[in-house]
Amino acid sequence: MSGQSLKVKPRQQRALERFYFHEARLLDNRQYQQWLELVDEDIRYIMPSRTNLMVDNRERGKEQMISVERELEGSESMGCPLREEGYVHLMVRVERAFKINAWSENPPARTRRIVGNIELMNRDGNQMQLLSNFHLYYARPGGGNFIYSGQRRDTLLLVAHDFRIRRREVIMDYANIDVPTLGLIL
Amino acid sequence: MLRVSELVNEDASLVSRRCWSDPGVYELEKRGVFGRSWLFLGHESQIRNPGDFVQAYMCETPVILARGEGGRVHASVNSCTHRGLPVCRADHGNTRRFVCPYHNWSYTVEGDLVTIPQESEVRNKPDKSRLGLKRVPRVESWRGLIFGCFDEAVEPLEQYLGDMRFYLDALLDRFPGGIEFMGAPHRWVLDANWKLPVENQLGDVNHGAFLHSAIIPREAQDTIEELGHSVVTRPGHGATFRLMPGDAPVDEVAWGLEGMGGIFGGAEVQDYLRDIQARARERVGDLRARMKGLTYGIYPNLSFLWSNTSFKVSHPRGPGKVEYWSWAVVPAEAPDPIKQILRTNYSSFFGPGGMLEQEDSEAWVQQFRGSNIDFADDRPYFYGLGLGEEGPHPELPGLVSVTANEFYARHFFARWRDDLQAVEGLS
Repeated sequence: MSGQSLKVKPRQQRALERFYFHEARLLDNRQYQQWLELVDEDIRYIMPSRTNLMVDNRERGKEQMISVERELEGSESMGCPLREEGYVHLMVRVERAFKINAWSENPPARTRRIVGNIELMNRDGNQMQLLSNFHLYYARPGGGNFIYSGQRRDTLLLVAHDFRIRRREVIMDYANIDVPTLGLIL
Repeated sequence: MLRVSELVNEDASLVSRRCWSDPGVYELEKRGVFGRSWLFLGHESQIRNPGDFVQAYMCETPVILARGEGGRVHASVNSCTHRGLPVCRADHGNTRRFVCPYHNWSYTVEGDLVTIPQESEVRNKPDKSRLGLKRVPRVESWRGLIFGCFDEAVEPLEQYLGDMRFYLDALLDRFPGGIEFMGAPHRWVLDANWKLPVENQLGDVNHGAFLHSAIIPREAQDTIEELGHSVVTRPGHGATFRLMPGDAPVDEVAWGLEGMGGIFGGAEVQDYLRDIQARARERVGDLRARMKGLTYGIYPNLSFLWSNTSFKVSHPRGPGKVEYWSWAVVPAEAPDPIKQILRTNYSSFFGPGGMLEQEDSEAWVQQFRGSNIDFADDRPYFYGLGLGEEGPHPELPGLVSVTANEFYARHFFARWRDDLQAVEGLS
């Protein structure tokens, strides 16, 4: 997805923003059950891991030499993504959040996320490929404050004038993982 | 400074908070534990071809583990002899040379210095044969697991592992092609002491029903308590596992079927796992074929989870910081699509995104805070559960007990205390 985004009408862009801002508000308000309703039951939720590789001499001078893609161990790779989940994983995570013994989130962390750079990259029938970026502030009681930064590569389904998340790939920006958990819904 | 004898009492049922937080204790650990023990460096599957390398650590010392041109495995300290910069900045890869970025001194994958670019401009030529990377003096491997030791006089690796080999083989030898590590390690930096993740996966299955009660159903924990065995083969080495009844259905015994990948991965992966179990008896014998492992620990800082197949190394970064590495481990002979499903047996529950380990990591961080407080030194941690209740077993090597017995941790701390005392007062 290195080309330019599709040209979209302001009204369409606004509809996509409305969906993402609503999603962000649900997550920051800890309304995870309502969030789960935004998710298609065939969802794939992937978080590639990010590695530090040698520069390939034969690629010097080319964009490929330092591309983000070559750092990622994603779902197609024979490395190990940090997360490869389906609906059942997300359901368990949501259920956990409403149990009294989800200790690391008791009391719950305070989060605030800004979602931006929303780009519609491709559309095929009722499926749309989107990119968006996020910054998330995470404050864990008794723990500390942390910044999460990343990109989301989504496939949304258009269902009855609304959207459902069919696939989400979260590209985290980290060198070493120095946050308390990557088990959040991002 | 505290005396080591004040940190851990005679039967190791009381462990001082300072064991976890004191900078002086940490300096003793570096020399007494990490300077004298076999430390896990990597697995043969990570460096199959000449020139292949991965990064490793021996405590805080960065190490390059590489396969040389002749096929031998070499471990060198990743620090240039000229100004100390790392000569390798990648997690893994394949190369002919490691080049220091500062002045471009370059080294072979075996660690020999081959080029000093400035050499031609000076009259006195340095003796390059004496300026190679510092070698890890002892490197040995067993079943593909490669270890290194800074103490040249250390006992052979196989002897060090001892009867742990019996338990490790219950898994490693179950697969005709052995195991394979998938990808680069997940490196998780936590404000915790390195020993608590180790203790957690040395034998502490007892916290499951409590810390993880939001995820682990009570019935699963009941099975663990009913069929569970905790074993210490030698202080610091231990394993926990369920010994399933001889007539248990294959789906209740087979490795991998109780993970998320096994449960939701489809018929192909399930049949693959059943097939492995069907051949387990002829490969590892009746007793070990019935073993359904939980946790494994190799002194000082290697852990292995059975059902959530992951190898883990707890690398200290000072008394209050740990870089916790974990890898998904799969049967080497499995087809690629099955490996891709089985790796989620690890990542669903463990690692930085895992549903269970998010609770553990918080416990480890909070324990360090508790270990660093003032005015509570008269309340050392209580390690006395099940004191003296372990004993020999007719079939299982080592000392054996129920999983609630904390003898695995007492033995760890007794060995740790002895290791620190061996270097206490020396400097």
